[in-house]
Amino acid sequence: MNRIIRPLLPILLAVLLAGCGTREETRPNGDGAASGTPRRGGTVVTGWTTEPLGVNDLIFPTTSVGSEVLFRTHQHLVEERPDFAEHPATFAPQLAESWEWSDDHKTLTFHLRKGLVWSDGVPLTAEDVRWTWQAQVHPAVFWDSAYMKERIRDVEVVDPQTVRFHFLRVYAKQLLDVNEGLILPKHLWSQIPFEKWRESGDWFYQHRLAAGPFKIDSWTPQQEMVLVRNDRYWRKDRPYLDRVVLRFVPDANSLTTQLLNGELDFIAQVSPSDAERIRERPDLAVVPFWSNLFVAIAWNHTRPLFADAEVRRALTLAIDRQAIVDTLLPGGNGRVGISPFLQAVWAHDKTLQPWPYDPAEARRILAAKGWKDTDGDGLLDRGGKSFSFELASNAGNQARNDAAVMIQQQLRKVGIEAKPRILEFNTLVTDTRTGHFDATIMGMSIDTSLDLSGNFHSRSIGNGDNFFRYSNPEVDRLIDLAASKPDLAQAEPIFHQIERLLHRDQPATFLWESQRLAALNRRLHDARPNLQNAFFNLQDWWVEPRR
Amino acid sequence: MTGFLLRRLTASLLLLLLVATGAFFLVHAAPGDPTETFEGQRINRLQRDHLRQLYGLDRSLGEQYLRWLGALARGELGISFSQQRPVAAIIAEAFPATLLLAAAAVTVEFGTALLLGIAAARRRGGLADGVIRIASMVLFSQPPFWIAMMLVLLFAYVWPVLPASHMHSVDADLLSPAGRFLDLLKHLLLPALALGLYNAGATLRFVRGSLLEVMGMDYIRAARARGLSERRVLWVHGLRNALTPLVQLFALTFPQLLNGALLTEIIFAWPGLGRATFFAILSRDYPLILGLTLFSTFVVVSGNWVADLLQAAADPRVRHA
Repeated sequence: MNRIIRPLLPILLAVLLAGCGTREETRPNGDGAASGTPRRGGTVVTGWTTEPLGVNDLIFPTTSVGSEVLFRTHQHLVEERPDFAEHPATFAPQLAESWEWSDDHKTLTFHLRKGLVWSDGVPLTAEDVRWTWQAQVHPAVFWDSAYMKERIRDVEVVDPQTVRFHFLRVYAKQLLDVNEGLILPKHLWSQIPFEKWRESGDWFYQHRLAAGPFKIDSWTPQQEMVLVRNDRYWRKDRPYLDRVVLRFVPDANSLTTQLLNGELDFIAQVSPSDAERIRERPDLAVVPFWSNLFVAIAWNHTRPLFADAEVRRALTLAIDRQAIVDTLLPGGNGRVGISPFLQAVWAHDKTLQPWPYDPAEARRILAAKGWKDTDGDGLLDRGGKSFSFELASNAGNQARNDAAVMIQQQLRKVGIEAKPRILEFNTLVTDTRTGHFDATIMGMSIDTSLDLSGNFHSRSIGNGDNFFRYSNPEVDRLIDLAASKPDLAQAEPIFHQIERLLHRDQPATFLWESQRLAALNRRLHDARPNLQNAFFNLQDWWVEPRR
Repeated sequence: MTGFLLRRLTASLLLLLLVATGAFFLVHAAPGDPTETFEGQRINRLQRDHLRQLYGLDRSLGEQYLRWLGALARGELGISFSQQRPVAAIIAEAFPATLLLAAAAVTVEFGTALLLGIAAARRRGGLADGVIRIASMVLFSQPPFWIAMMLVLLFAYVWPVLPASHMHSVDADLLSPAGRFLDLLKHLLLPALALGLYNAGATLRFVRGSLLEVMGMDYIRAARARGLSERRVLWVHGLRNALTPLVQLFALTFPQLLNGALLTEIIFAWPGLGRATFFAILSRDYPLILGLTLFSTFVVVSGNWVADLLQAAADPRVRHA
């Protein structure tokens, strides 16, 4: 799950919000989904701006579409449900039909389904599970999520259908960590030594297998990938579709045009303005769902301007975030951010309100901190230095660039000069990571484990994603305490404490949370994209014949 | 002639080396490195160091350069960081698409330019000349991506008769060979028009100016004085000389198109070199960026080399220059 979101942003913490926000209008087929009978067969053509890089996700950089594909061709032991609005996410059986914990919570035993086979007919067994873990942690493979396996001591094959994970200690993310990564075919892929994996991309494609509902039939780089039904999938009544075609179209406008002219049936993400055009067509539908992303201004705390939490709070008060949301995300597609705990997640403290737009209070706080316009140039100054800084955002993200200009105008009203600076994405990431920035508008997310250590724990300064260089010993302690609970539900009061501290300290100004908008042709039924995957329930999709 | 060939070959190789060296150091001087862009964002410093070691990025720049140069001398372009497959395979995959698009675009460009350039020159000062000159300016002043977007809007949305992107339809595999060919032509038309029409604006004016210049020369007056028909004067005597410089223009334009028309390829999802370059740069895929740069240079240098050779064969003075 983390790996789906990682490519989207400079920081990726990955969350899930899936089903929580789907509005009624989002039902792709108000009529069809409810009343139609699923029909077997047919082809769906989908459009994507990026494409997968390979079929072995341990060696390839993750792209969102790459995860979409591999999550349908391969399987996890269990599947995380998108039900985390009211409680921690629960899990559904996938390759494993059941699992149980030892009394000390240090051993987790999975029982695989009987009769599991790869698409070449070879049985999928506990040996595959153990060997996958060995590949995931092998230094030469260098899987970028290998750190999630650090606390797994060993994986034991009890019998072909039973596999046991032994942990070094008890902690909150045990099941999530075990489940990260898809199960790979030992009988075929072990022919290539791990040391050779990172130069064997073509080999893995030529020797691709599937255990999920679909298998890759063909892939023409930069053009399209065709998935076809895997007849050896363990669930015999799925999938309904014969084929799913993924067309790769780098230009988003072109993608929308192709949906409008009937070349495509489904797009995973469209812009709000394109969504309006799509909504005008009775044969098309827009499917909004709350995104896992939140957009914030990361203040660099090593800059004296932003070292003081009260000054950061004054900056937040001086920014009219509601106006920004109303302008950039109209039609209810966004809401003002409060904290990294997204408002649709169970652990969010619902009594907490966003800081209001209050420039007068902002001026008062800044004056109390010694920031006054002593030279009459319209800018606050202290010790001979004006309150002036660069506000970076990444090229190509119009909403963030527009937000930077609005923030510039709003801060100017309280005597602060923000100078927008648009940087190429990779340059922005590097500058932010190395601390060469004043303030940056960036997107972040958080995963279902609600582990904030990567972004807000002081040990992640310079060695993680704490770009702000935020350090609060109490927050550090609480993050560690929450992570030590075997059951996330027990950590709810701790999460509330963390959220309140972050709300008070404003390590970042949380600008907005937004909805993602998928779009589809109404001949397509039961497509329920969510944060985990646009193809989340691809095996349930069905289509009416083209007219 | 052998001495001439050797001189040209040496100069070409030196140019390649120069471009390769420049590209290598420029790419490495750009902010960001592959471990920060495409290997996910959550790896810690230790993991990043490990990855840098894996890619050889932990070595000094000089050492990396020498190793890369050594591999190049053995004919190896390396393994793409982002795709984990040989750079040469990626280029080989993308080049045919670019070659096809370039050939089609050049046909559109020179076909349009010749047709309208000659028409304008023949009616110099007339209404048709004025309209064609304005049209050429309009075409030349529109960026190719804008022309591309307008073509998509017109022919794929308002009047949906042509596909908006890709080289083939979804079910092209089910078509007969002739059907597949027609399908390819349908997909080729819009990108070729977008790319060709933009360049046609300038080439058209070149053809018109060149023809007008030639038609004012003494030998043309002499031809008319000998009583030759105006049609024969234009097509046999005028055009042949007027179009000679066009061959050189073609020699310059074609290799340029072979390097990949980035924006056109992006808009039409055309799987060529331009699109591959775009994504290589975004992911800071050093081996792929360098491989593509080197290949582009090779194409341009080879094109010039062949042009020089032809010119030398035609004009002995060039061989001794």
